[in-house]
Amino acid sequence: MGAGTPPLPGPPKPQVKALNCPKCGAAITLRCFGQAETVVCGSCRCILDAKDPNLAILQQFEIKTSDVKPFIPLGTRGKLRGTDYEVIGFQRRHITVEGITYSWHEYLLFNPYKGFRYLTEYNGHWNDISICKQLPMMEGGFSAGAGGAANYLGEVYRHFQTSDANTDFVLGEFPWQVRVGEHAVVTDYVRPPRVLSSEKLDKEVTWSIGEYMYGREIWDSFKLPGSPPEAIGVYENQPSPVTTNVTSIWLVFAAFAIFLLALMAGFDLRAKKEPVLHETYLYNRADAKGEPSFVSDVFELTGRTSNVEVKTYAPVSNHWVYLNYALINQDSGQAWDFGREVSYYYGYDSDGSWTEGKQNDSVVIPSVPPGHYYLRIEPEADPSLPNISYTVDVIHDVPVFGIYAIAFVALLVPALLISLRAYTFERSRWSESDHPPIQISAMTGSSEDDS
Amino acid sequence: MFRKLYLLFGFLTLGTAAFGQYRGWSLDTVNELKNVPKSVRDNPGSYRSVYSGYHHYTGGK
Repeated sequence: MGAGTPPLPGPPKPQVKALNCPKCGAAITLRCFGQAETVVCGSCRCILDAKDPNLAILQQFEIKTSDVKPFIPLGTRGKLRGTDYEVIGFQRRHITVEGITYSWHEYLLFNPYKGFRYLTEYNGHWNDISICKQLPMMEGGFSAGAGGAANYLGEVYRHFQTSDANTDFVLGEFPWQVRVGEHAVVTDYVRPPRVLSSEKLDKEVTWSIGEYMYGREIWDSFKLPGSPPEAIGVYENQPSPVTTNVTSIWLVFAAFAIFLLALMAGFDLRAKKEPVLHETYLYNRADAKGEPSFVSDVFELTGRTSNVEVKTYAPVSNHWVYLNYALINQDSGQAWDFGREVSYYYGYDSDGSWTEGKQNDSVVIPSVPPGHYYLRIEPEADPSLPNISYTVDVIHDVPVFGIYAIAFVALLVPALLISLRAYTFERSRWSESDHPPIQISAMTGSSEDDS
Repeated sequence: MFRKLYLLFGFLTLGTAAFGQYRGWSLDTVNELKNVPKSVRDNPGSYRSVYSGYHHYTGGK
């Protein structure tokens, strides 16, 4: 810039205009130049006409000042989403639903170059709100008799709630003719983390778009002391902690389940299922008074390390046999020791016929290396059983379907948990709406009515 | 984020299942022993199962 160049034209530097309240004489500060329509005296709660050089009194209201204290004091400046703003107005509004009053706070922010913006706070949930740049389109079919849905910039927002909002406290400046007791019909449509709101005041409808913010972000933006109030409950446009699309999780689960099925079929086809021993033995109590144990013939397990299934069949009937087994590698001395019972009982009582147990049993010994093996068998039997024959089968390399069952459950549990988390969160959200989910108590009540 | 974790978890689960099946894992519990004497083959009574005499009558309703 040369010495003779005039200074660049630009917006005027912001200046605070000081005035006095015509009723109580308290200093009135105007921060948004000539854009304020009304200003509220913080001392006597007079709503004044900011356009009037004499600040004509428009309304005066009374309230216990201790009841309403903005979290962000008027005049506080901060950087919100990269733009500097100053808090110039504050109002408390409420709706009454089924006799319960719900109040929220609205902060009016001003930047001389960007204009106005709003922050709302309800139970520790914050929203950054600005006026829509385009008129949303209404869509029907969301729910019979409900407010339908709205389309804004190509995104569909579901109707959440329509209510009558009343203003019960104001403070600072406002670019409209604010009044305490002002009544407007507010309709909210949600698409978390955004909320689309229409506010109908007389014949004028104003659309605004809001985005959920966490209290910590507000505190950091305005450098407020302390901690933000803890958020209570689930807010209408609060983002779900389940950020993943639940449908996509189930699609992944389905893919895994199919893969698991293919794996199971593949290993089942590939398993050798090789019978390496098939013997029938006779247990005779008279003979067993000496040493009851004996060993089988030696059999060979070939190939890689795999499992071995030992199957026992005994035609017991209201009796039991118990077999102490040891699968022993005759070369290395490695052994697997286990005991198996075969018992089968049946009868009839006041409940009808019953059975218990089976005449056959199976056990799978894990990870048996190849080699030469034999079985040591030590039978025991019901003392009332004089003798019984039993058959032992040894099969090498069998599929274990329980592994797939465990894998299936392991895959299912996270998908179920995430779905449950998402469901309970959405249920909490919509329970506060005009479209609450069906209550279990209501269902129980109706069934009782039916009976 | 969770989807990626779930994908990783799923592949690990499937890999573990496949490895377990290949290595011949089992859900049954057996007692593994080392260095059982070779004399057991000729004299089965010289070995005593840890489960020997363990069984008690449990049958019947």
